[in-house]
Amino acid sequence: MTDKDKLLKIAQAKRQWEDGVLAKGLARLGQEKSPCKFYTPADVEGHDFLEDTGFPGQYPFTAGRNALPIHVPFWGRGKAHGVGKSVRHAFGYSGYGTPEDLRDYYIERAKGPAPAGGPNIAFDLPSQTGYDSDHELAEGEVGKVGVAVDTLADFETIYQAFTGDRDIDKIGSNWTVNGTTNIILAMYCALADKRGIPREKLSGTPQNDILKEFAARGTQVFPVEPSMRMTRDTITFCANHLPKMNWTSVAGYHMREAGATRVQAVAFAFVDAIAYLEQGLAAGLTLEQFYKQMSFLNFGGGMEFLKEAAVRRAARKVWAKIMRERFGAKKPSMWTYKELGGGVAGYWPMTKNRPLNNLVRVALGAAFAAMIGEPPVCEPPFDEPLGLGHSNEARQLAADAARIIAEECKLMDVQDALAGSYFVESLTSRYEKEIFDIIEKVDELGGAVAAIKSGWIKERIVESAIAFQRQLDSGEQIQVGVNKYTEPDEIEILIPRNSPYKAERLADAQQRKIAALVEFKKTRDAAKVAQHLEQIENAAKNPNENLIPFFIEAVKDGVSMGEICQALRRVFGEV
Amino acid sequence: MNSPEKKIRVLVAKVGLDGHDKGAYIVASILRDAGMEVIYSGLRRTVGQVINSVIQEDVDVLGLSILSGAHETIARKIIDAMKENAIDDKLFIVGGVIPDEDIEKLKKMGVDAVFTQSSNYNEMTDFIRSHVK
Repeated sequence: MTDKDKLLKIAQAKRQWEDGVLAKGLARLGQEKSPCKFYTPADVEGHDFLEDTGFPGQYPFTAGRNALPIHVPFWGRGKAHGVGKSVRHAFGYSGYGTPEDLRDYYIERAKGPAPAGGPNIAFDLPSQTGYDSDHELAEGEVGKVGVAVDTLADFETIYQAFTGDRDIDKIGSNWTVNGTTNIILAMYCALADKRGIPREKLSGTPQNDILKEFAARGTQVFPVEPSMRMTRDTITFCANHLPKMNWTSVAGYHMREAGATRVQAVAFAFVDAIAYLEQGLAAGLTLEQFYKQMSFLNFGGGMEFLKEAAVRRAARKVWAKIMRERFGAKKPSMWTYKELGGGVAGYWPMTKNRPLNNLVRVALGAAFAAMIGEPPVCEPPFDEPLGLGHSNEARQLAADAARIIAEECKLMDVQDALAGSYFVESLTSRYEKEIFDIIEKVDELGGAVAAIKSGWIKERIVESAIAFQRQLDSGEQIQVGVNKYTEPDEIEILIPRNSPYKAERLADAQQRKIAALVEFKKTRDAAKVAQHLEQIENAAKNPNENLIPFFIEAVKDGVSMGEICQALRRVFGEV
Repeated sequence: MNSPEKKIRVLVAKVGLDGHDKGAYIVASILRDAGMEVIYSGLRRTVGQVINSVIQEDVDVLGLSILSGAHETIARKIIDAMKENAIDDKLFIVGGVIPDEDIEKLKKMGVDAVFTQSSNYNEMTDFIRSHVK
């Protein structure tokens, strides 16, 4: 019997099943049409195991980016360092108030459960958009969504929490910063110089995904073209001087949070990544010199976990094809992307109502992540929507959930357990096609930079966000405890929340930060400051110049982030 | 009750450095579908720019979308500026990620209504229709 005959036989048997057993079952339950689907080999007609799935760590990487997922030796069953215990990685997005407040938080956090390694710093909006704490636009924002950093002195204060066996040559640092990345990187280099640590030992990841800021997150500092020039500076500086530093963390996740569909989030992240790689190549680097320092944050997620699992599998495959076919990368190690993310639930499905349900949401998502060979990260902790920072309790529960998935459920014992599922494989193929369709469309529009400048990507995201909101409002999409199951007999469950954050410090954080900045500025050599700013402005006018070395020298003499950005705005313009 | 030919005019504004505009776009679209005329300010406006738009565009409602946590400072500045310009008869609504404990504070300050991620569009459109003077 040929494969074709076998499939015909299955299709025929399916019709018989539908008309017989299924019809009877539906009649017994009083249902006209089945709300469930059942997939068979007929749904994956033409699927070729070696070509479409393959082995983990082998082209096309659908079954996994690595032969053994890199998180397994760290988090795996029976390992000494379980989830939350590794000091090698930056973990636990955090930041608030003044640099002193954040330093004290990190010192306190190191004593608690899941102390983690380096800092994953949240910066306040003025620091992300290049304004000093005393700028008019900063009023009310200082220290709010993250820590306020104006000068190198601030950076030194935060990193007082990281010395000795947690010094900056031993930990990784993560900075959620985009438009001002190169100034933050300059501060880290200056900090290393002051501590006598060779710069090449610094490891970390600035987010530095500026295109998605225009599309989704809104902290762009300069227009698109000079922003891409800043990205080129990060790429070449990291490639030449900071071999352990990632130069970006491409974040499809922000676009998903802003409303993109799961397919759009992957496709838009990839077109942005393509634009960055082209920028590095245009600067004269070879892929060998800078590709391994590119990472992805993740692609976001949602609650339909089988679909999320499929789109991740499709993403691995699409990226492998992009690197191999589009960029002509020869080494198989370049056919995969490095991703820092994990679970597939994402942040936006988190609800403020009955927040403990968020633990269920992320833990289930993490279980599906484990079943496709991704780390079962149970992030965010359940109290994410409740305001300032995560409590110790929420972090303990998040770490435990991941540990349960690894150690009790043993879901990491099989790699890509969903491989071969008729449903998941058919969906993976469909998503692969849909992702490529969007990439082709963006190519037609002139690439990601052009599609960002024209607003095309942003419009698609907004369109999807509005469509989803309508489904929520009409009850087509359900959020338990929000638009369903909200009757008075349902109960709100709250548990104690203790936090290393000192919320009361926020009351006067802005005042303290501005006072410290004013005092600090008095201690500087004003002539030197002016000289640095002039040099930066001149260097910015020369498109071939890399600005980071100028920033390093400037921050060492106390020049502030706002002052540097002001000088750059004079050349680059504003957004 | 407004006569059918007079459409309610709304300015949806982002003030300060907050770049999250999904909510602003969604609200603008919902209010348009409900038959209102909606203007969106774009990102990073100052209080002065927004107040000027309220006056020039002669809107009935000013909706501030804010997710950065700076809502108290910015709402206070807007209320003061509305009073100074004698436009405090217009509705002033705040929407975004606002902690429960801050909602009452904002209302006491003079904000007419606060809508959060848990609100639905009917609440919003009903409130505006029944409160526009």
